[in-house]
Amino acid sequence: MPAVGRIKIRVPHSIARGQVIPVEVLVTHPMETGLRKGKDGKVIPAYFINNVDIYYGSDRITHCDWTIAVSANPFMTFYVKAEKAAPIKIVYKDNKGGVYEQAVQINPS
Amino acid sequence: MSRLGRVLVMLVCAFGALTAGAWRYALAADEAAPQIKEYKPNISAREYEKRYNAVYGKYTEQMAEEGNPADFMLDDGKDLFSKVEGSAGKSCASCHGANGEKLKGAAAGFPKYDPATKGINTVALQINRCREDHMGAAPLKYESYDQLALDLYVKSLSNGVPIKVSIDGPARPFYEAGKAYYYKRHGQFNFSCALCHVKYSGHMMRANLLSNNRHHADHWPSYRLKWAGTGSLQRRFRGCNKNVRQKPLPFECETYRDLQLYLTYQANGLPIQVPGFKM
Ligand code: HEC
Ligand code: HEC
Repeated sequence: MPAVGRIKIRVPHSIARGQVIPVEVLVTHPMETGLRKGKDGKVIPAYFINNVDIYYGSDRITHCDWTIAVSANPFMTFYVKAEKAAPIKIVYKDNKGGVYEQAVQINPS
Repeated sequence: MSRLGRVLVMLVCAFGALTAGAWRYALAADEAAPQIKEYKPNISAREYEKRYNAVYGKYTEQMAEEGNPADFMLDDGKDLFSKVEGSAGKSCASCHGANGEKLKGAAAGFPKYDPATKGINTVALQINRCREDHMGAAPLKYESYDQLALDLYVKSLSNGVPIKVSIDGPARPFYEAGKAYYYKRHGQFNFSCALCHVKYSGHMMRANLLSNNRHHADHWPSYRLKWAGTGSLQRRFRGCNKNVRQKPLPFECETYRDLQLYLTYQANGLPIQVPGFKM
């Protein structure tokens, strides 16, 4: 079934130390705005990711506040300088208290 | 009888035979090929290409490659393929190989004429037939998540394989029926598919660039931003039906299968690329 909070992370296969690499992340989420009505005429309650934290090893390297303006099943790309062998971890939190996270190990050579 | 009389009778008979023949001929022609008013695109292929690139560029292709949410569905389809279901205690993989090896390239020949049902067979129909006949499992509801996932996985086994559907022999009348539907006007707005997707392809319709039908059948099931989900080509048919205020038809009905054959034939030679990504 289509579940909420499934994550796919993609990084380059081989990474040189100090290289700036793209990290592509996809997550499943309805990102419901709270402004739409369902077939029964009732408002569909807001349900969206509003908080994204990205860690590289133990450092939190960035943080995003998301709003209802972000599409369903959001996809994002960000760039990181691969300086150390450590996991990159992405943590999503939504307005109903859901927390979804996944990590990928970076091993620059 | 006088000589004049005999000539008259002969003339009348000859005229009768001629008109009857012509009448029969006209009837036969009418039944064989419904009258279609074919269109030509209003603009050249080059002009179309230019306009398409100006509106979409490579964005949708890029999105399909980088982060297509339908990839999750593809993963699920792969799992379903080796899941044992039904009274025979089999999975698809029991007959078609662990990673669907034996189905590589199979989807490129679909839809195709099937002598068993004397109709057009699609991948979706075939999967359900395998479930019912070979696995003793219940057919999957069309457009349900699991059905789409299996369909997507089976088609992905043919990714990169050029589409080669045949419209020869017994498939021909179904192709013609699909084409007739494509060129016939429908709905309260009185539009034919071909009016938008052949004649006016390359023109804007509100914020949409009307696409020509060359690439319509090579990338389904696709993720659509509008749906915030993944759907089949036939779901897209239903959308276009509704847009002209026509009652949409049921999934996998004969008309939609004929239509799918017609559109897939237009895409002959193009590689299958699923899952697609569309606005
Ligand atoms: C017991 C063996 C068996 C199982 C299990 C089975 N199939 Fe089949 N499959 C066949 C046979 C035999 C055919 C040939 C056509 C026919 O008899 O319907 C076929 C044909 C097909 C084809 C068309 C191949 C072509 O080249 O035209 C597809 C696609 C397919 N099966 C998919 C599936 C999927 C998906 C499943 C799991 C839901 C499945 N099959 C389960 C036996 C099986
Ligand atoms: C009023 C104009 C109109 C009519 C009539 C119409 N369509 Fe469409 N169709 C569109 C628009 C607009 C789109 C979205 C933009 C695009 O890709 O062309 C679209 C998209 C499609 C697509 C998806 C194209 C792709 O590459 O993803 C298919 C397939 C399609 N239509 C088939 C049909 C069929 C079959 C019919 C007849 C039953 C039909 N359309 C009738 C306007 C129309």
